[in-house]
Parts: sequence; C-alpha cells; structure tokens
Amino acid sequence: MMRKVIAVILLVLLLFFTAHSTGNLHSPPGKPALTSCRSPEKETFTCWWKPGSDGGMPTSHALYYRKESSETVYECPDYHTAGENSCFFNKKDTSIWVNYNITVVATNALGRAFSDPVEIDVVYIVKPNPPEKVTVTVMEDKGWPFLRVSWEPPHKADTRSGWITLIYELRVKLEEDNDWEMHLAGQQKMFNIFSLRSGGKYLVEVRCKPDHGFWSEWSSTSYIKVPDYFHREKSAWILITVFSAFTFLILVWLLHMNRHNLKHCILPPVPGPKIKGFDKQLLKNGKSNEICSALVMPDFPPTASSNDDDLLVEYLEVYIPGEQELVLEESKDLHHGCLKSESSTSDSDSGRGSCDSHTLLTDKCGEAKEERRQTDQGCSQIRTEAQRRPKDALTYAHGDVVSSNMSSGRVKTWPSVFSPLPRYSPSPLDQQSSLQMAKQHSLSTSSYLTQPGHSAKEALGQSYRDFCLSGKQPHLLTPQTLVSRKLQAHSDVNISSIGLKRAPAGLRSPALRTTEYVEVQRVNNEDMVLLQPVVSGCGRMEGCFQVPQGEVYSKVKGVDSDNVLLLQREGMEEDRCPCVDQETNEGTGNCHTLNTVSNTRKPSACIYTAMPVEDEMAPIVNGYVDSANMCTLHTC
Amino acid sequence: MPGNIRSVSFVWLVLVCLLFCSRLTSVGAAPICANAQAGCHVLSLANLFDRVIQHSARTHGISNDLHYEFEQYFLPSKNHIARVSRNCHTSSILTPNGKENAQRMAREELTEVILKLLVAWRDPLWHFHQSMAHHHDFNNFSSNKALEMSDMVHELRKGVEKVAEKMQVLGIISNTVSSLASPEASLPSDSAEWRLMKDYDLLYCFRRDSNKVQNYLKILKCRIVPEHGC
Repeated sequence: MMRKVIAVILLVLLLFFTAHSTGNLHSPPGKPALTSCRSPEKETFTCWWKPGSDGGMPTSHALYYRKESSETVYECPDYHTAGENSCFFNKKDTSIWVNYNITVVATNALGRAFSDPVEIDVVYIVKPNPPEKVTVTVMEDKGWPFLRVSWEPPHKADTRSGWITLIYELRVKLEEDNDWEMHLAGQQKMFNIFSLRSGGKYLVEVRCKPDHGFWSEWSSTSYIKVPDYFHREKSAWILITVFSAFTFLILVWLLHMNRHNLKHCILPPVPGPKIKGFDKQLLKNGKSNEICSALVMPDFPPTASSNDDDLLVEYLEVYIPGEQELVLEESKDLHHGCLKSESSTSDSDSGRGSCDSHTLLTDKCGEAKEERRQTDQGCSQIRTEAQRRPKDALTYAHGDVVSSNMSSGRVKTWPSVFSPLPRYSPSPLDQQSSLQMAKQHSLSTSSYLTQPGHSAKEALGQSYRDFCLSGKQPHLLTPQTLVSRKLQAHSDVNISSIGLKRAPAGLRSPALRTTEYVEVQRVNNEDMVLLQPVVSGCGRMEGCFQVPQGEVYSKVKGVDSDNVLLLQREGMEEDRCPCVDQETNEGTGNCHTLNTVSNTRKPSACIYTAMPVEDEMAPIVNGYVDSANMCTLHTC
Repeated sequence: MPGNIRSVSFVWLVLVCLLFCSRLTSVGAAPICANAQAGCHVLSLANLFDRVIQHSARTHGISNDLHYEFEQYFLPSKNHIARVSRNCHTSSILTPNGKENAQRMAREELTEVILKLLVAWRDPLWHFHQSMAHHHDFNNFSSNKALEMSDMVHELRKGVEKVAEKMQVLGIISNTVSSLASPEASLPSDSAEWRLMKDYDLLYCFRRDSNKVQNYLKILKCRIVPEHGC
C-alpha cells in the first residue's frame, strides 16, 4: 500500500519534473481554420486550412465533410495532392450545386480541436487557372502597327462543352511605365491593341474569370518590341520640309526680282517740289546767291515789253511829305497786282514789289533793286514804307476814284489816291465832289488813301507823279468807266498841273481831278520812277483793257525846282495820251502845261491800242515827261 | 343625317376590321418557318439559344443580387444552422450534378429538366414577389427585382419551349419532350412545399436553380450548335 502511494507520488513528481524540465506544457491542439476552398474548373476543388497551435505535441488534422441533405460524414479523400494542410476533392467526390459542410479537426495526444464549419457550393468557388499560350504579334493596319494578343483558356477549364464560360482581361504596359493599361476582352480569345509607340517594348498579361467566380492569376508576361516605324513618318516630314523650303526659296527669289516694284508699291516715292524753273539740285548744292537768282524768273516781273502789266502799280500816288519822297500809295489791290506773280493775295503787305507799295520811297526804291522791284522784298519794303506812313497825307493825284472798280481788278487804280487832292485844294466844288466820290470809292480799297493831311497838300503838290500829268484826264488810271467818266467830268482838274507846276499846296486838286493813273513800274537806279499809265483806265474805251498797260509808263526823272515832277516816258507803249490830251484840251486847261503833244492825242486812243505812240509821243519817248508831257501819261 | 352617319360609321368599321385582320394574318405568318421559306423571318437555332441563354443569365444575375441583399439585411450570420437542413422544393427533380452527368444526359432529358425547373418556379416566384410587395422592409428596388425575376422566368420558359420546339422541328431531338402544359401535374406534391419555405431559402434555392438552368442551356447549345462561341 505504501509502495503504491510512493510510486504514484514518484510518477507525479517525475512527470512534473519532466514537464518542468522541458519547459513546454502539452496541451490540446489549437483550433484550425479553413482558409479557402477553390475549384479550378468546377469539377474538382481543394480546401486549405491553417492549423492552430499544436500544443507541443504532434498533431494531426483531419477534414470531414458532409453533403447537403445527408448526414453522412466523409473524410477528405486526398490530403496530399494539393500539398500540406489541404484536402483535394476529385471529380468523383465533387458535386456541383450541392452544399458541402466542411470541418477540420486537429488532434493530438491531449485532445482535439474542431474548426468552424464552412459551407461551400462549388459553383461559387471557381477560380480558373490563368490563360495559356498567350501570344503577342505585331501586325500592320494601313501602315500603322498594332499588337494582336491571342491566348487560350486554361486547359483544365472545359469551355468547349459549355460547362464553364470564361471572360478574359488583359493588361499592357511599356517596359518603362509603371501603370498598366487594362482591357476587357469578354469571351473572345483575341485582342488588338493600337496606338503604339514606335520602337517601344511592351508587356502583355492575360487573366480570366468564370461567370460567377474569382479572377485567375495573371498569365506569364509576354514581351514584344514594336518595330521602328518613325522613319516612315520622318520621310514624309523630310519631304514636306524640302518642298516648303523650295517654295520659300522661289518666293524669295521672286521678291528679289520685283523688289523695285514692291518698293514702289509699299513706299511710294515722295513727290518732290515742282516749281517751274526750280532747280532742286541747285538748291541743294548752290550758293545762296545762285539760288536767289534762280528763284527769280527771268521774265518776271513783266518788263515793259510784257503785256502783263497788271503786276505793276497802276497808278502812282505820289506824295511828298516834304522830303520829296515819293510816296506811292497803293491800294491793297495794287499790291495784289504786284504780287500776282507770287500768287499771294491774302496780305497786301506780303512781298510786293517796291513799286507796288503805297508809299514809295524813291530813294529806297532806287537803292533797291532796279530790276527787282517785283521781288517781294522790294515790294514789301516799299510796302512797309507805305504802311509806315499811313498818316502821310496822301495826295492822290488821281482824280476821281475809280478805284472801286479797280479794286476788283488786279491793279488798283487810285482814284482815291487822287481824290483827296481836290480836297486839299480849293478846287471847284464840283470837282471836289466828284473827287470825293471817287475818293470814296477808293477809300474802301486803300486804307491810307484817305489821309487828307495838310501836309498832304504839299506832298501832293509836289509829288504827283501821276499827275498823270495829263492833268485833266477824263480817264483815270482806273479802268472803271464810271470813274473815268467822273474824272472826265472833272477833267478840268488837272492833276498833273496840280502837282507839277504848283507848289505842293496846290494840289490844285481840281486840276488834278482828271487824273491819269500811272503805275509805277519801277524805280531805276537813277532814282527815276518809271511810270506807266494804267491801262485799266481805258476800260471805257472801246477795246481797252482793263489791265493797264505795263508798257506804257512814264518814268519820273526827277522833280525840278518848280516842284514839277519830271516824268520820263519810256518805251513805245500805247499812247494813252491822245485820249488824255484831248481831254485835257477840253478840260479847263489843266494840261495846259502839257505840251502840245497831248493835244494831238487822239481822243479815242485807247491806251492799249497799238498806237504809234512813238510818233506822237516822240517827245516822250525820248525821255521824261515833263509837266507838259504829262499828259501823255494819261491813262484811259 | 342619320343615313349619312350610318354609312360613314359602316365604312369606318370596315376599314378598322381590315386593319386588324391584316395584322392578325401577319401575325399568323410569323411563326418559325422551317427551311427558310420565303416570307418567313427565320431565327436560327443558334440565335434562339443565344437569346435564351442571355435570358437565363440575366435571371440568375437578378436572383444573385436579391439573395445577396437578403443575406446582408436579414441574416448576418452565414453559418446559419437552418441552412443545413434546407430543402428546396425542386430537389425532387433529378438534375445532373456534374459535367459528366450532364453530358451523359440526353438532350431531350436535359431539355425536360430545364423545363421542369422553370415550370416549378413560376408560382413560387410570383408569390415571393407578392410577399415582397407587402413587406415594408424591402425597398422598391428589391420588389421590382422580384417582379422582374418572376417575369423573366416566365419568358425564359417560353423561350426554352420555343427552342425545344425548334429542335424537334429540326429533328435534333425526338418528340418525347412533353408539352408540359400542366406544370402542376409533374409535381403535384410540391405544390404546397414552397409555401413553407422562407423567403430567404426560396431565394437561395432559386439562385441555384437559375444557375442550373443557365448551365444546362449552355451545355445543350454547345452540344447542338457548337460553332458559335463554344
């Protein structure tokens, strides 16, 4: 009895020590777990489990299953085919559309462990094998390559009998890429991939899945290299480049050929100055003298020979403010006439010939250009002078003023010039009145003209050049008939007489009534004012031009001691004198001072007619016209 | 006036009748024509099979969705004990459970099995839909699916019958396939079993059966007209 007890105690101690010595406590196995069951073709299936802790002792596992609606428990027929911890169900043991209840039992010396049961239906655990025989080839479609991928279903899956229906999916990527390009191929076993990069290396993989099941694993990668087809593209580009370069060269060459035309088209030449007689080159290269001389037109101003005498002052208002200066007053229109050549009509002051100015300073004129009276310079100078003495009593040698009419014309007569004359002198009233009228006419034209200055009397008396000296001429320098008529009425007013013989005071305006307008053509270097009768005065005459004849003029030779203006006639202009002379004859004898030449004048001698002036004016032609000859200077 | 109205109405009636008659006659001329007779619109057997198979695929899809929704909604635990003892009312129909079994089966048998299955599910599905409609737990989407499922089974049955008819005409199968005009006759005892099934079990059973139908049809097709997609 004691021995038994001792043996048991020893045994227990031994066990305890052995257990303690080993350090492991044996225990029943842990609970295994079924991880998955899969069927590759819906005909067989395999289940895998994971064993639990074995409890330190060798543990065995067993799989038991039960079919639906049957209580019979079967054990796994095959533990080895599918590997460790697996159970393989072959075709015989597999039933489709039947629920399997599977349990794994782990057993060791100390106990058992049951896993949780799993119910499966084989239909829903199908996971096929990857597709097989995946082939990728490069094919061409109208010159562009594409990949053709073809494969076959896994050999185990029976798709031919319709038992399994598989759908496929493939993925493609370039070797250097990271992302795959997925393509679902459906039930077909072939697929085309387009839009390839030339020269690229592609990877292709395929997988499949049954109608209701799991995707297979990806097939093994297939490599394919797309051949380089860029050279085909490149050749086209090269062709295009060559062609465009060729075209470009042609265009450039054409442009080069036509560059002149293009230049004219794009940049039209700027027209240069077109002044007649103007030499551009001379302007560029020449000296100032030459230029100025070049600017001067040879036939300008019109000389005595020219018919365009309108440039000249028609009549001459001589005004001697004591200094024996001849003041030629011009109306503005005269200036216009002077400037005619310059085509400047706006300003009466602008560039008129010295002769044109109202106040003509003989000295200045003389000093100034002889020939260049027409130049603006001279004119302006004179003009200036004239303007400077607006207050100068302008003794208008002219009789009535016909300037009104004249003003419209180129040359302005100065009836107004003469009009004041009567004023100053105690001329007969009628004369005066007529003169007044005339004066009023001209007043509008000339600003200075109405300056019945006291001094004007003297001046007038002295400096009438104009005095037309024909004294009483019915024709005033003005072309206006009216005025001339008026003058005629006052022909007795011997303007010329007024100025010539008398003292300045004696404007004797009445005598000067009948004024003959002369225009100063120029003042020559001898201080001689060259006058010419105003042609325009002949307006009333038949066939008379309004334009005063430039040809007929008288030049003032000087003023003698008697304050007689010595006029000198020049040229063989028409002799206006005849008219004048006749008038004078009729007149009150203003012209008495005139020589007989005047008497012989034909009454109708139009200033312009080609009268043999010379014959009649012989005395005049020769030289100056003195008081007696003044009549010859008449202007119709 | 009344005379005119009568004549007009008479004429109108005649026209309408003519219209309908022509339609009827045209319909009458529409049945499957054998040998591609002139004037007939012939559907090949392969086309018919394809259509039917697509139909069955759709049916199975819907049943799968419904079952999944049921599982999510009602039964979180998948290992429900009750499932072990599930017993579908169609389990009495002998259906091949494997490929060999199915391939070993004659075409006529297979066709008959298919038809039996389809017929067996007509009423249960209809009632299922009714119960779902009254159940406030289900959303409209599920209810519509149930209705669609029911209709599709009906259409599928018709289609399979057409296929069988065509096969018989073509001589592929013998005329042993019963007309199955009265489905209840084949399964008289099953008439009450499905009423005991719960909705979930019903869905489970139908999901399986629709898969069977689809599979059998595919087998049939690949056996009879293998050149198209087999």
